[in-house]
Amino acid sequence: MSVESHIAAVPMAESPASPAPSPRLSDPERWVDEHGDYLFKYALSRLRDPLKAEDAVQETFLAALKGGKSFQGRSAEKSWLVGILKNKICDHYRKAGRETSFTDLEFYQDEESDRFIPDGPFKDGWIHEVGPQEWDSPGASLDSEVFWQTYRDCSNKLPKNVATVFNLREVDGVESKEICAMLNISENNLWVMLHRARMALRRCLETNWFAKQEGAK
Amino acid sequence: MKLFTSLKTRFVVWVWYHTPTCAEMSRLTSRALEQPLTLRMRMKMRLHFVICAWCRRYFEQINFLHEHAPRLGMRLGELPARGLSFEARSRIKTQVRRNLTLAL
Repeated sequence: MSVESHIAAVPMAESPASPAPSPRLSDPERWVDEHGDYLFKYALSRLRDPLKAEDAVQETFLAALKGGKSFQGRSAEKSWLVGILKNKICDHYRKAGRETSFTDLEFYQDEESDRFIPDGPFKDGWIHEVGPQEWDSPGASLDSEVFWQTYRDCSNKLPKNVATVFNLREVDGVESKEICAMLNISENNLWVMLHRARMALRRCLETNWFAKQEGAK
Repeated sequence: MKLFTSLKTRFVVWVWYHTPTCAEMSRLTSRALEQPLTLRMRMKMRLHFVICAWCRRYFEQINFLHEHAPRLGMRLGELPARGLSFEARSRIKTQVRRNLTLAL
């Protein structure tokens, strides 16, 4: 991602007095061609259902038409559209949270319990061979596209509701209390789900990325 | 040397019995990202880190993932994956066009 679009990720205020003819309504179909795929991939990874993702993208464009603003840069346009899409996705979660319980009980079984010593004086200590291993220069991984693909694939493997909670909290940086209100779950439930998600994701990344990096040397 | 080893073992055992277990430590590591822990608990965790490289790594790695996860959001739309299907694309365009004429 370019530096320019990174900066533009900050919510845009009204463009400062721009007499330039607004390009927005001239060709909204260009929006669909230019940003459609980006928005769709984003929505799909969150909603995990192509039909729902398509709907979310369509709603995003329609909402954008209504609240039409003009933009100087296309990257600003994109981050504005992503902002609208995020809201649409949150609306979807809110609705889902009202209709069904968001707590993922199946995932409550301690799937990491095989990493801890089951009994004896050191019960619940890490089993040294399978506990967290040293990660080799994790900072360098951040520049690798394959690392982020692995990250995405790992988060896609999480149970749906756990992934939702994880994405809202970790990727979007929404505060715990807000998530609880949105999904209609208790704070304690949220903590447990986050703990499970982080643990599973760490393990998945270690197996599928960091251990392989080590092996590649 | 022998004395040192025996003192070290005693220290490790003492710390083990006076700090949270590793399973508990992993929960606390996550909890600390949601709300501040008490000073007492933070001290206990520090002490546990002295004897346990695994919990130390776990703590560092979870914090690393927490810190950099927002970048995934920016990357998501760019990673290779299937985009909008042809049908969906034309359907959305039709909708956009219809709403555009309504707006004008």
